[in-house]
Amino acid sequence: MSTIQVILIALFCYLGAIGSIVGNTIGWYCLGRPLVASFVVGVIMGDVQTAMVVGIPLQIAYLANVTPGGAVAWDLSYATYIGTAMAIAMKGTVSDSGALIGLAFAGAGIGGVVGGTMWNVHYALDVFVNRWANKVAESGNCKKMWMPNIIGGQAIGFLCRFVPAVIVLTAINAGVEAGIAIPGWFTTTITTFGSMMAALGMGIILAFLVKKPVHWAIFLFGFVLATYLGLSTMAVAVIATLVAVVYYSILDKKDNKEVA
Amino acid sequence: MAKTVSAKTLKKSFNNWFFWNGCSQQAETMLGMAFGQSMAPVIDELYDTKEAKAEGLKRHITLFNTESQVGSVCNGICIGMEEQLANGAGTAETIQDAKVALIGPTSAIGDSLWVATIIPLLLTICLSVAQGVVTAPWIGSVIYMIVYPLGTYLLSWTLFKLGYKAGLEGVQRFMVSGQLDKIISAVTVLGLIVVGALTASFVSCSLNIDIKAATQVFDEASKTYIDGTISVFNLDNLLNAVFPKIVPLGLTLFVYNLYAKKNWSPLAIMGIILALAIVLTAIGFIPGVGAFV
Repeated sequence: MSTIQVILIALFCYLGAIGSIVGNTIGWYCLGRPLVASFVVGVIMGDVQTAMVVGIPLQIAYLANVTPGGAVAWDLSYATYIGTAMAIAMKGTVSDSGALIGLAFAGAGIGGVVGGTMWNVHYALDVFVNRWANKVAESGNCKKMWMPNIIGGQAIGFLCRFVPAVIVLTAINAGVEAGIAIPGWFTTTITTFGSMMAALGMGIILAFLVKKPVHWAIFLFGFVLATYLGLSTMAVAVIATLVAVVYYSILDKKDNKEVA
Repeated sequence: MAKTVSAKTLKKSFNNWFFWNGCSQQAETMLGMAFGQSMAPVIDELYDTKEAKAEGLKRHITLFNTESQVGSVCNGICIGMEEQLANGAGTAETIQDAKVALIGPTSAIGDSLWVATIIPLLLTICLSVAQGVVTAPWIGSVIYMIVYPLGTYLLSWTLFKLGYKAGLEGVQRFMVSGQLDKIISAVTVLGLIVVGALTASFVSCSLNIDIKAATQVFDEASKTYIDGTISVFNLDNLLNAVFPKIVPLGLTLFVYNLYAKKNWSPLAIMGIILALAIVLTAIGFIPGVGAFV
């Protein structure tokens, strides 16, 4: 990675973090999702193909990564920006895409922990900004109310995000230049780990979706469409949409009958 | 003459919230400062004296928290109440009370409906596009980058206006009408089917227990018998003949059980998966290879 690439990736790492200056809708929930983050890293590093190879499994594994009540133990934005960058940077050291995905998961592990820690630092330091906000409110100056929130909060936020990302990315660069060889047993383990991680995303998303026993049958319906009939996920998505529309109209009809 | 909040101020208040709601989150007032920033243009327009403005700002930088995208309805409701207050109806206390009362329900709906259902669902649809378009999987990313922020902006703005126009009672009436429940049920069905297919094509885990027996193979070239092996028992082949991909399915259900029934954290589950991966590798099982390879 060149210096400019490191700076750009670290910048997006900050923008995709929770509570960045572009807002959570564009930041955390869009730039911070692995599907988007890996694409952005791919564009910056000029290797979208590899980025998507690792980005899709990362997205599946972390599909259910949500942050209720602002508790962040695992920073998804950090995890994918660092993970994808590491996989692309170290592409030359592995032989197949399975190992490449494993590398991305290893990088995501490092990034996620660093990001999670920095989020808690940010969360703690922001408390001091409250005093500034109180002062502005006390003066009744409505035109200045944005300053503590944006300048105060984001000066801390930017430092907590950007600087550690630059350090981690530079360390990865140094590792690549030093020609770190990854031992075979590690690659094998991490490849297995990467391919099993999809179960994490799927298992947790099921916990969100399943509300009654019949939902298991609906889930298995999708499963066997893919296994027995060999349909692609896109084909299943189309079928699922049609089923959902019919299901909604049945619910609607039932409701209207009860009213009448 | 009755005071009203102008359309321009409403838009400004909304944008202040939409873009900068998370800028200064902290443990003391959560999103308090951001809420204050959102209300500042409204207070500025409604009140004339410096003292009244200071009072107004102070009541809006106190503790506030919500799922901010769906939670914009709170801002709308508060603006409606501020407007009434400026015209002499209601009290500052009722605004405070309403705000605190809204934290729970808006967080719950926002987190469970928007964050935990709509976002993963849209992501799964974009993932299936990414998988479908093999030559340019990034199209899935681009679709998400356009659809999600635009859709959320529109939803958030609609809820903001709904809160302002309908007020607290109006919003409650909409929530109990049952329409929302039906939409959620249908969306859940869609989600479950797609998640089923994704599980089948992405989760991989194999128990490649392959018991081989020693045998002698006749070698044509040298016209002699040489030692070889044949597989007499392959656990994965056997299981897949009964129900294809039953092992990945089992792993997924295991994760579900740990998360939903045993309340394990995702981080702890990752630890278990890593441990399983190490065990499977160490015993010398053949690593699973993802369907995307």
